[in-house]
Amino acid sequence: MYNAPMITVRLPQKQKELEIPGPRRVMDLLAEAGVRPTTVIVTQGRKLLTKDHRVEDGATIDVISVVSGG
Amino acid sequence: MKCKRCRRAEAAVDLPSHHAAFCPDCFFVFFRRQVTEGIRKLRLLSPGDRVLVCVSGGKDSLVLWDVLMDEGYETEGLYIDLGIDGYSGRSKEKVLAYAASRGKTPIVVELAKEGIPIPEAARCVRMQECSVCGTVKRYFFNRVAAEGKFTVVATGHNLDDETARLLGNLLHWQRDHLARQHPLLPGEEGGLVRKVKPLWRVSEVETAAYGFLKAIDYVTEECPMSFDATSLVYKEALSRIEDRMPGTRIVFYKGFLDPSNPLRNEPAGEEEGTGAPQACASCGAPTYAETCSYCRMRERVRNARSLRAARGPR
Repeated sequence: MYNAPMITVRLPQKQKELEIPGPRRVMDLLAEAGVRPTTVIVTQGRKLLTKDHRVEDGATIDVISVVSGG
Repeated sequence: MKCKRCRRAEAAVDLPSHHAAFCPDCFFVFFRRQVTEGIRKLRLLSPGDRVLVCVSGGKDSLVLWDVLMDEGYETEGLYIDLGIDGYSGRSKEKVLAYAASRGKTPIVVELAKEGIPIPEAARCVRMQECSVCGTVKRYFFNRVAAEGKFTVVATGHNLDDETARLLGNLLHWQRDHLARQHPLLPGEEGGLVRKVKPLWRVSEVETAAYGFLKAIDYVTEECPMSFDATSLVYKEALSRIEDRMPGTRIVFYKGFLDPSNPLRNEPAGEEEGTGAPQACASCGAPTYAETCSYCRMRERVRNARSLRAARGPR
């Protein structure tokens, strides 16, 4: 059976990985992953992505939490 | 989305609170201007200062050190090894690697060697780890600065940290804490060194973006002791508000800092006292009590250890 390529969304601090069908904007991927945009930066390799950036199928993005406590 | 500054390059950072989006090069200019304006407006630093930058291995403190060095300030880094299994070692590695990349060697204080590693100390005195950590770190920041003839101590507290603290202080009407909350705490006679927070105008997203774009390798995992820190509750509440009403956080904090704000003119609480601090009867550090809070805590840790040793293994 043919597996269509999807967008891989990695959340390293939560040790979580999601597969979401594309193309989608970053803000839509974050909503799907249940992450609020003001608490993260989103990267693709060495690139930083804006929230309206369109991500294509087959891409892998990292969602990095920026909230520090204590 | 195009960069709102140069209008040519693709934007990499969007900042709804500033109605702006920047390409990496323009974001560096924006970010550094935010920091230098924050320093200038509140007169946090002057060109002749010797700055002790407290670095934890996280994004904010390493970014602060990076910007201050790039701005030409004379700086040294101070890393405090909290003695937290695994996490402290990984944080220290990041600090040492970053420092080496800039030709620096940080000053390192190991709390295990000082007899007060945070997890054990918190157990002994039955207090929240973050609270113990705050007392111990403040003590060493000042001690290292005073011994090393630094004129100022700089920490990486950002706008999110400061507004979370402000919200907590307001919700509990901590009037004496409100009177003391400021990016500039002046030094005092008796060895209390000036403390500054030059990142007070920039958000966590902004420092993280700056660190990423500058390829600063910081520790992204959270301190395992802070998972239930109350500051995270306030941060979440404020970030929900910021999501709906971008720019609220900076308006909230700037309004608080306005000199005409009556909350800023409350007298200091009893613990802080008035006038110059005295020398601690035990270690000589500046304090408003007979013995400083660090020495009192260390004594309680020692007593708890002795008690445990007398009881023997369970």
